[in-house]
Amino acid sequence: MSTGATIIENLKMFWSFTGFHNATVSHLIMILIGLIFIYLAIKKDWEPMLLVPIGFGILIGNIPLFPGLQVGVYEEGSVLNILYQGVKQGFYPPLIFLGIGAMTDFSALISNPKLLLIGAAAQLGIFGAYAISLAIGFTPSEAGAIGIIGGADGPTAIFLSGRLAPDLMGAIAVSAYSYMALVPVIQPPIMRLCTTKKERLIRMKPPRPVSPVEKKIFPIIGFLLTAFIVPSGIPLLGMLFFGNLIKESGVTRRLANTASGPLIDIVTILIGITVGASTQADKFLQGSSVLIFGIGALSFVIATFGGVLFVKFFNLFLKEGNKINPLIGNAGVSAVPDAARVSLNVGLEYDKTNYLLMHAMGPNVAGVIGSAVAAGILLGFLA
Amino acid sequence: MMKKIIIISVSLFLALSLSAQNQADMYLNELLVTNTADFQDDFGQQNAWFELFNSSYGTVDIGGCFLTNDRNNPKKYIIPKGDVLTKIKPRQHVLFWADNQPFHGTFHVNFTLAESDSIFFVASDGRTVIDCIAVPKNLSENVSFGRLDDGKGTKDGKGTGWAVMERTSPSTNNSGVDGKTKSQIMAETDPYGGIMALIAMSTVFMALIVLCFLFKGVAKISMNSQDKKSKATQKSASVEAKTVSVTEASAESFAAIAMALHLFNEENQAHDDESFVVTQVHTDRTYSPWSSKIYTLRQTPQIIKK
Repeated sequence: MSTGATIIENLKMFWSFTGFHNATVSHLIMILIGLIFIYLAIKKDWEPMLLVPIGFGILIGNIPLFPGLQVGVYEEGSVLNILYQGVKQGFYPPLIFLGIGAMTDFSALISNPKLLLIGAAAQLGIFGAYAISLAIGFTPSEAGAIGIIGGADGPTAIFLSGRLAPDLMGAIAVSAYSYMALVPVIQPPIMRLCTTKKERLIRMKPPRPVSPVEKKIFPIIGFLLTAFIVPSGIPLLGMLFFGNLIKESGVTRRLANTASGPLIDIVTILIGITVGASTQADKFLQGSSVLIFGIGALSFVIATFGGVLFVKFFNLFLKEGNKINPLIGNAGVSAVPDAARVSLNVGLEYDKTNYLLMHAMGPNVAGVIGSAVAAGILLGFLA
Repeated sequence: MMKKIIIISVSLFLALSLSAQNQADMYLNELLVTNTADFQDDFGQQNAWFELFNSSYGTVDIGGCFLTNDRNNPKKYIIPKGDVLTKIKPRQHVLFWADNQPFHGTFHVNFTLAESDSIFFVASDGRTVIDCIAVPKNLSENVSFGRLDDGKGTKDGKGTGWAVMERTSPSTNNSGVDGKTKSQIMAETDPYGGIMALIAMSTVFMALIVLCFLFKGVAKISMNSQDKKSKATQKSASVEAKTVSVTEASAESFAAIAMALHLFNEENQAHDDESFVVTQVHTDRTYSPWSSKIYTLRQTPQIIKK
């Protein structure tokens, strides 16, 4: 073979290795989705901490590969595959919960414990989505994994789907994070629909100051109680309350700083990039993913309805002066603090001096506990 | 010092007992005495066999443990250490051939079941009997005797939970492999998800209601103790007030002080509860160029304007 022919042959071989040669329409669609995520994060400031890593992860995962190069996220032994084990084996979500615990102030909840119940009511989204998924034809395990999107909690969704329906994890995680970013868009119309003008103007009692002792006791009692009721939720509940204890104990500030700072940042980067990369076109672009996105949206809607309507129902039993503004009902989902911020903003639209943020933080952090408990129940019943 | 020693000793004891607990998760699970038409070993021989089952959800290494048919000789057959096959995976079985041919490999013991009244699985300490079972004498050919459910029943050798099996199941579940998954059971019992929703929502509510009441109680106790403290403070303040005249500060002053404190705390990321402990530790370091900061610092490039 002449030198020219050899060069052409080698160039042809090289061309067959490139992404241009292996690209399909599915790859291009996924790359477009990744770019949209990055755009929304940078331009619209929608959950940038999540959407930038996930969006870029989608780009990484959808570069058309020549198989066998040991670089893809699903190729055993590749760097991405090793990082992906944290998602697959489920050890990133509890670490994120550790950080959330270390940065969450449960004072609003401790000062007004009845707000915990709103966090429970909003979990209706999970079980509404579970029933819808079953009706559509998903198996109970898959339905449980899809249902958890309604908890509005990305780490919990990853944790549960990794155990109940690993094949659907990419779609579930992306759906959960996308709708968490869309909380300011999804929730306000439902909140307005469910409430009267009079209800939106309800002023709540300012929360009482909470003593440091109460703050220290809360994570211990909270963990013991919830873990005894739902032991399958231990990885999430244990880390959440442990994180909070190291924050509130006052003697482990360095640990709390690490958990709420560098550690959660590192794990967020890893979880975002690997979840994004796991949405390889051939695994992600399927009919089931579209259904999951649809059910995910419905679950957020049901959760918001559940939270707001529960507050209205609860108000029937509360004396005048102790009533709860139903606009904080939406915050029962665990998208912290976005859902609480939505309560504040919608509240301010009707009364410029009615700041609902502190009150909404109560159900919001209760939602974190509630979704972890719900995940534990689903795991116990279906795993 | 004594306290520390006690704590360390207790921790060590617990750690040791935990490792023993792993071996304690092993069960004698099934046995077959007369094998003429059942499972064959790697040498193509049909011999008596018995099965161990790891009931735990962690891997258990049985290397170094013992098997015997003589209570007075608990170390009759030592399961060789260092064989990867003696690391029994969670909820898995391992089969031993009772053919009195130990030179055939790790899983061939030096006694037979026909000559045994009982068999014992003994921990690596050579003393603790983890499980034992009396070998039935009237068992038919190719019929096994085993636990009705893997790892269920007593370990006292009396055979509670054991029965003559309908079919032999060497190295697999005694209750059959056609068991339904939880998901399949849910699909049959709750096809619309209503029961699950009801149970789960009730559980979430119950958990959070109990937490709510607990914290109402804690809040009451805390507020009572705060009231007591503030009353005590007021008393001492009123005594002081009698001697010192204090000019009343305006609400604006309080607001300004609160704002200043808030800003200060925010800036310093100060915690609500300070430890008030300052620790200074003096450390001596002998100079070494390897640890010298001068060599590890990056030089900031300077722009020289001409």
